[in-house]
Amino acid sequence: MKLKLFLLSFAVISSLSSISVSAQTYAITNARVVTVSGETIEKGTVVIRGGLIESVGASVKTPADAQVFDGTGLTVYPGFFDALTNLGVTAAPRPATPTPGGGPQVVTVGTQATAPQSNSNYPAGLRPEETVEIDLRGGDAQFDTNRNAGFTTVLTVGRTGIFNGQSAVINLAGESVSAMVIKSPFAEHVTFTTVGGGQYPGSLLGTFSAMRQMFLDAQRLQEMNRIYADNPRGVTRPASDRSLEALIPILSGQIPVVFNANRENEIVRALDFAREFNLKAIIAGGQEAWKVAARLKAQDVPVFLSLNFPKRTTSSSPEADQETMDLLRFRAETPKAAARLAQAGVKVAFQSGGMTSINDFLANAGKAVENGLTKDAAVRSMTLTTAELLGVNDRLGSIETGKIANLTVVKGDIFGKEKFISHVFVDGKLFEQKEPAKPAAGERPGATPPAGTTPAVAAVAGNYSITIEVPGQTLTGTLALIQQGNTLTGSMQTQLGSTPIKDGKITAEGFSFAGTVEFGGSTIDILVKGSVNGNQIAGTVDSPQGTVPFSGTRNP
Amino acid sequence: MRNFVLASLVISISLISFSIASAQAKNEVLIKNATVMTAARGTLENTDILIQNGKIARIGKNLNASTSAKVIDATGRFVAPGIIDAHSHAMMDAINEGSLAVTSMTRIRDVLNPGDISIYRALASGVTAANLLHGSANPIGGQNSTVKFKWGKPVEDFIVADAPSGIKFAMGENTKRSSFNPQGGQTPRYPRTRMGTLEVIRDAFNRARDYKQSWDDFKAKKTKMPPRTDLELQPLVEILEGKRLVHAHGYRSDEHWNLLNLADEFGFRIASLQHGLEAYKIAPEIAKRKTGVSIFADSWSYKLEAYDAIPYNAYILWKNGVNVSINSDSDERIRRLNLDAAKVMKYGGVPEEDALKMITLNPAMQLGIDKRTGSIEVGKDADLAIWTAHPFSVYSRVDMTLIEGDTYFDRSKETQMRADLQKERETLEKLDINKAPGSGGTPPRIPAEKRLADRDDADRDGGNY
Repeated sequence: MKLKLFLLSFAVISSLSSISVSAQTYAITNARVVTVSGETIEKGTVVIRGGLIESVGASVKTPADAQVFDGTGLTVYPGFFDALTNLGVTAAPRPATPTPGGGPQVVTVGTQATAPQSNSNYPAGLRPEETVEIDLRGGDAQFDTNRNAGFTTVLTVGRTGIFNGQSAVINLAGESVSAMVIKSPFAEHVTFTTVGGGQYPGSLLGTFSAMRQMFLDAQRLQEMNRIYADNPRGVTRPASDRSLEALIPILSGQIPVVFNANRENEIVRALDFAREFNLKAIIAGGQEAWKVAARLKAQDVPVFLSLNFPKRTTSSSPEADQETMDLLRFRAETPKAAARLAQAGVKVAFQSGGMTSINDFLANAGKAVENGLTKDAAVRSMTLTTAELLGVNDRLGSIETGKIANLTVVKGDIFGKEKFISHVFVDGKLFEQKEPAKPAAGERPGATPPAGTTPAVAAVAGNYSITIEVPGQTLTGTLALIQQGNTLTGSMQTQLGSTPIKDGKITAEGFSFAGTVEFGGSTIDILVKGSVNGNQIAGTVDSPQGTVPFSGTRNP
Repeated sequence: MRNFVLASLVISISLISFSIASAQAKNEVLIKNATVMTAARGTLENTDILIQNGKIARIGKNLNASTSAKVIDATGRFVAPGIIDAHSHAMMDAINEGSLAVTSMTRIRDVLNPGDISIYRALASGVTAANLLHGSANPIGGQNSTVKFKWGKPVEDFIVADAPSGIKFAMGENTKRSSFNPQGGQTPRYPRTRMGTLEVIRDAFNRARDYKQSWDDFKAKKTKMPPRTDLELQPLVEILEGKRLVHAHGYRSDEHWNLLNLADEFGFRIASLQHGLEAYKIAPEIAKRKTGVSIFADSWSYKLEAYDAIPYNAYILWKNGVNVSINSDSDERIRRLNLDAAKVMKYGGVPEEDALKMITLNPAMQLGIDKRTGSIEVGKDADLAIWTAHPFSVYSRVDMTLIEGDTYFDRSKETQMRADLQKERETLEKLDINKAPGSGGTPPRIPAEKRLADRDDADRDGGNY
């Protein structure tokens, strides 16, 4: 008996073994060290040992066993944070719940998981219990692009739907998920969308009612569980419900809710909903949050501000209606958002917001600085403030003795045009970048395809006239594809309006991109897949309403 | 230096006088010498209206106000109560939750968009309040919002806080066809016939009764576990308790009659029949139940259900003592409800004041907000429109629209505002961020405003308004 117990505890202990860290000791000397938590050291040394920052200061001794870098002309920052991504989630889309009544199978666009069919009582998109942690995969290479841009830590969440599941704070290196995860779960993520497939909720109206009912049911479940735990005799047991149970720590404020809300109306709706259930709310996106800054401050709601600034993607046509003032203003005002929020005392963490090139992150943070944000505040919004808001500032976010050795070493001004990220440390592991021998004039960083992709990339760029065969109706329009390596940008124009291309990429089959269209008062997610053969283009458009074919020809 | 001192002295003096002014009655407005159509006590010539703290303080001749009051000379102008639209879908980011037949859990309040330009256009047409309704795809739709069009204010300011809660019901074509034409992948929905529609409503009320019983039992400590707070059934219990107004979409008199009987069976009142193009056929039965009817002034035969509509509908209902209002059901028609009211004078000869009431006091009564708005009477909210001529004239336009004494539309400022906007547009369009990229193709011409066909047969959203 005793032996058994001993063995058992041994097993537990071995499974709790600490993560493997880089055994190498490093010292960066003569560098400018932006500690963020304290004064900037104009000429100092940072020593990294065992994955941690061993020491930092102007007069720190370089250990004999350390690999030494001369940091003259370099600046060391705490590793940069991206406060919202879906990095690390590499699984393929999974089919949604089969439709009752034998209707066509609908693929829930972008729903990423390899998990088997859930036994939740709720449709996909209303399952708050799902965690990104089970969707994550280990491996350093998947993070190359982001890490090379200076990012060491991100908040990541993988699923779509109304409840996007619970996010995790991860380091952008690690051969296993357990080595990557810093904190899981961090928050529940919510998007004001529908579940699709003709199911309830099928409109924004139903979205709020369905969420409200689930939170009320969770409150009741908590109460019933309490009554049943008191004395189960003579009481029918409350039905177990993992979806509702996942909402209980959210109702108690233990787990915050990140609302994806970019425009003013969405943000106000998120704040109203958070107030209704006394939720600990965070706004993600938040490009119009400055319009309700006073309310955010009063309700103590921080913003994970998207630096994916709106851009004009359509060219002008003499026949086109002029753009709305709302849109023109939105593009002009967005770079000023960070400064205005900071001015109002709202806490801001920067996030990439699904930008096509991660290099826009620092460039747009620089635009926020040009528009009134102090450089110090901008740095904090991608280091210590983010760490605080993610609840990991005891171990990350600044350069202090004993913290995790996540560091970003930069040559040049990070908010300027001439900059180069020379070294990135994640958990003390060094990732070094060679400065391009000849930064070709006019070529944008990030324009080259990332290493490891096949050099022969299909050429799909061009302007196409397309026809989409929606049952009972044929939509016509144009598709403009702009290709940079494996990345596609551009837009699709139909009678339903203009759809900027999101997540556009070249695939083995051809190409794919996502987008949204406004229809019937709601925003519908679409996923377009297709291929180009000579001047012919063909493929499918997936939406919650079903899959329809499209075809077209390249315009000369 | 001397100049500087002098300048700051002037500034501080003007600041002082400003603060003295604002210490008196808040937003005091005096409208002078107007023809006042009260929609309650006749039309008064050469009359002044004094507004204090958002309310109508006095109506009479040669009224005085404090020196700080805003004085509007309305000589030759007509002042009428702000128009109230008893059926609108303005400022809504979603109209139908069409996935289910009973969606009483949905709330229009959740999807309001205070930036909808329709609001400003409605104000420019003298409309100050509206009943924002769920669409007509479901036998039992969502919960309404009664709003005042406080353009420029945050959304919570739009809500008329003391307006009774309401809900949308629907019968007939729209409800049926929403079941026949489900969204992709959706199982065709029940109900698919008019009899099914009524059954769905009856079933919902039976479930609501059981639900109420479960709470009564719990409160009487007969059960230990708390029942569910059911957002679908709770509003129906409120209907049964007389606390929620039912606004029921329908066209045919047989359907109205069926619904009135169902309401009798469950012991509640239908607050308003919406559209009711055949309501004249059962006018005494409607009057007996104190149910209002909110109609289109015309639009006969525009859909199969409307074939038996007649232009004398309003007149016959009015003659039978039914509270009649005229609604728009359209962001476009909302701009000329005054002319729709004029039509009922032509067809049957409804007296002028009663015709005016059909777009002011009567909808206020149907919405349960007549204590505070709908007519020009002392003590009511100062929700007014100042017209250049008799509002029933096709030559009349709105000069100013006030809600609770605050100006929300002022035609005299339009020219300047348009010039300012044009200037702002030019500045914005010159910014790099707003310039078209070099590539990306030439988009085809897309009309910025997809025309919303009016009435409930629009091709948007399946046409189920």
